[in-house]
Amino acid sequence: MGAKFDIQYVFDYFVKLLPYVRISLIIVAASIALGLIFGLLAALPRLYRIPVLQRLSQLYASFFRGTPILIQLFLLYYGLPEILKLVHVDITRLPVLAFVILVYGLHSGAFVSEGIRAAVTAVDRGQVEAAYAVGMTGFKAFTRIVFPQALAISVPILANLVIATLKDTSLAFTLGVMELTGKSQTLPTISRHFTESYLALAAVYFILSLALERLFLFAERRLLKHENLTIKESRVLLRRKWLNRRENVKAAFSKGGA
Amino acid sequence: MIKLRGIAKSFGKQEVLKGIDLTVEKGEVVAILGPSGSGKTTLLRCINYLEKPNAGEISIDDFSVNCRKPAKKDIHLLRRKTAMVFQQYNLFRHKTALENVMEGLVVVKKLPKEEARRIGAELLEKVGLADKLDAYPSQLSGGQQQRVGIARALALNPEVILFDEPTSALDPELVGEVLAVIRKIAREGITMIIVTHEMGFAQDVANHIVFMEGGLVVEEGPPKVIFQAPKEERTRQFLARYTSDSAYSI
Repeated sequence: MGAKFDIQYVFDYFVKLLPYVRISLIIVAASIALGLIFGLLAALPRLYRIPVLQRLSQLYASFFRGTPILIQLFLLYYGLPEILKLVHVDITRLPVLAFVILVYGLHSGAFVSEGIRAAVTAVDRGQVEAAYAVGMTGFKAFTRIVFPQALAISVPILANLVIATLKDTSLAFTLGVMELTGKSQTLPTISRHFTESYLALAAVYFILSLALERLFLFAERRLLKHENLTIKESRVLLRRKWLNRRENVKAAFSKGGA
Repeated sequence: MIKLRGIAKSFGKQEVLKGIDLTVEKGEVVAILGPSGSGKTTLLRCINYLEKPNAGEISIDDFSVNCRKPAKKDIHLLRRKTAMVFQQYNLFRHKTALENVMEGLVVVKKLPKEEARRIGAELLEKVGLADKLDAYPSQLSGGQQQRVGIARALALNPEVILFDEPTSALDPELVGEVLAVIRKIAREGITMIIVTHEMGFAQDVANHIVFMEGGLVVEEGPPKVIFQAPKEERTRQFLARYTSDSAYSI
């Protein structure tokens, strides 16, 4: 397939893809924001062991973690309007983007709920007791003491999720959303330089991921400044290891690496 | 005045407290002694409802909580009237020493930040940590963390401060600095209930000693009596190790 490889096309397409970074990032940002809300809502019944809701949230998390996102996209995009038609609600006129964001939001929410649950459980029980002992209510103890610490613990999990979602947005083009991947498929239709287009696409995703990773590393350091170099690396990406080595960042960050 | 009447607590089938009565006068320092598993820490934790008693009554002055059917509001009020110093310090890990002391003042007592800061700095100076205001707990030694914990408790200006084995988790070298601070505030007439294994310290700082075993108060009285002429054989046995001539000193 296609024409003879020409590096010039890679640069050319790279530049042409850049405007579509915006739409991909919008999907990521909106769906993560939505995911955080869904995730928190799903995590609370399990943290506080609320009888029926706890089961429902478990079901929700298992479903969205256990089925491919492509199927979820199809199910919601083609299935949901049909179901809602039965109760005379017409959503077929909603923009595709709304469906896409909803699906990615639900999908990432499932992961967020697991992450929140893990992070909150990881905060020492003594922190809550101390909060109660100074006279805080359960709500204050959660928002002032537990949540900020859980947030810091969950940053690496969140980072993984955001990057995974960014890559997953490449499936949105299957519903016809003109984002990065969709564009990369249409760019070479005349020139037939497909390989160059995919190469440029890979470069865009890679640079975005790298930037996000740096951003989260920074956030992690800020949020965990109180833990004073005792941060546990919960994941070691090859890229990160390499970056760490090059930058020679403080000992704790390269733990398990180099 | 703090009054406990018939405090009982079971974990499942195990009865940990079998009806404890205790009266603590204002300004009194009470030390609770006893072997491990005697229920002394549980009793202390019942006083501010970190542990829910199954029965009994807790009263502070004319405010009282019926433990059979406590109102949420009453539990909250009880906690505001008490403060606790934990064995594991339990400082808020994401807050500096000063913020730890300020937290209760700002969030619970709704004091303006500047005032809370002033009180916090003052109290940290009192416990000898004027130079550590901005240090995070992870940057402090155990003894320093516990002193922040004491300052945090003092800041709330409670009716009583509950000490749960405040020196048990410390290196022997650091015990002294914490005990010195507790002794200092005891002299100021703050009501305190201390669960401790530091016999010498208890004898020295407390006005009243309570000896517990098996979920019951075996004997109580002034330190002189308890340490030198206990009535109960069990008390004598327990204290024998400490009252021998190699007097325990700190």
